Amino acid sequence: MNRNDDNNFDDELMAKAARLSKPVVPKRDLWPEIEQVISAPVVRERSAWNTVWAQAAAVILLVGGSSGMTYMAMSGDGDSTVPIIDAHTQLVFEPVSGSFGSQYFLGPDYQDAHRVVSDNLNERLADLSPEAREEVLANIETIRRAIDEINRALAEDPGNVLLQELLIDTYRDELSVMKKVDSISNNAMYRSDI
Amino acid sequence: MKFISMALIGSLGVAPAFADDVNEIMDADSDGTVTVSNVSGSVEVQGWSRSQVEVTGELGSRVEELIFERDDDEILIKVKVPRNSNGGISSDLSISVPVGSSLQVHTVSADITVSDVEGEQELESVSGDIETEAHASDIELGSVSGDVEVQGDNQSIRSRLNTVSGDIESDSLAGEINAESVSGDLSAINGSFERAMLNTVNGEIVYRAALLDGGRMDVETVNGSVDIEYDGDVSARFDIETFNGSIRNCFGPDSVRTSRYAPGRELKFTEGDGSGRVTINTLNGSVRLCKN
Repeated sequence: MNRNDDNNFDDELMAKAARLSKPVVPKRDLWPEIEQVISAPVVRERSAWNTVWAQAAAVILLVGGSSGMTYMAMSGDGDSTVPIIDAHTQLVFEPVSGSFGSQYFLGPDYQDAHRVVSDNLNERLADLSPEAREEVLANIETIRRAIDEINRALAEDPGNVLLQELLIDTYRDELSVMKKVDSISNNAMYRSDI
Repeated sequence: MKFISMALIGSLGVAPAFADDVNEIMDADSDGTVTVSNVSGSVEVQGWSRSQVEVTGELGSRVEELIFERDDDEILIKVKVPRNSNGGISSDLSISVPVGSSLQVHTVSADITVSDVEGEQELESVSGDIETEAHASDIELGSVSGDVEVQGDNQSIRSRLNTVSGDIESDSLAGEINAESVSGDLSAINGSFERAMLNTVNGEIVYRAALLDGGRMDVETVNGSVDIEYDGDVSARFDIETFNGSIRNCFGPDSVRTSRYAPGRELKFTEGDGSGRVTINTLNGSVRLCKN
């Protein structure tokens, strides 16, 4: 290897290193919207702290997941800190809540948080009229179908930043809608201060 | 000193056998807060020039009581119903409040109609429709399956409108609008915005309003279509991307494929001096962008 080869190698290495060191951020700041979702007050007669913390954890995971996915997509490199779904599951894609294009998922903490929000909603749904309940369930199903659809597209095109953004936002929508239904129903039915 | 009074309508502890008329009035601050809770029926609120709150209407036969009380600058109007009731709780309330009042209304299936109230409004219903006027103060309107309709008067305010399946229609709002729905359609007609955030999963999005210089507009839908026709000139950088939809642009530049192997299209261009920023993202929804 001569000096020119060394220089070329060094230049290439430095260029790669420079690319790696560049922070990759989402096209827009997702945090304010997500923060708004979790910070909206829900007055409940029973303690809501578990829910709030779980939702906060979910949001942190969503934002962290979004940034991580974007970074990996842009850098073309894996990250051992992000859980990777077993390669066998990529062959037969089974969408699960929190999955991210079949290659990654948002982790057990997100699943736990999602379950807490779902449990709260289920409790509230029992108090709604059959028509309202059906409407809510149909729309949550609509969101989940959309998540499924985006997930499948992302599985085919894992580097697509548009799909990553849409998926994160639709996960956010799902949490937001579940929380909103809970909040509106609670305000109308159970607030002790009104 | 706090002043609390309570008017109980109907016999104490015993549900009246028939629907009861109600006609009560109470002194109130000219810019206080009025909170209303009614499960079923309707709530109509109108602003008036007097510093009083008046409640008229009819209570359902199984309603336990109408709570009508004042705590300092807050007035509470609540139709109290049995925990478990099968019918007989539908109550229609017509409420007059000082025009400068702030308003909070919460219902389950009752429709909400508001007019001539200039304070902030927070109106929520599970399945009732919401119809209101917006003036100089911020509004927050939310329904699960009911429709939301708001008529503004072009004063700059902050509007947050959201439904799960109900449609959202705004006319002549200005300032900031944040509208979200899962399957309901969104439309913002007339008015002018410095910030517009419109988001659906399946619902269509229609925008026929101005975007002010330096304004910011973010539109996102998974499967809904986006139809934007700016009222007047617009100066902004546009960044439009769709995974599987079409893009029709009246401003000139054509969209391009984002990949040789995927159906996606994107369109980036600058109109005017580019002081504003518009981003539109869809999965399958088509995008139409024009001005009149």
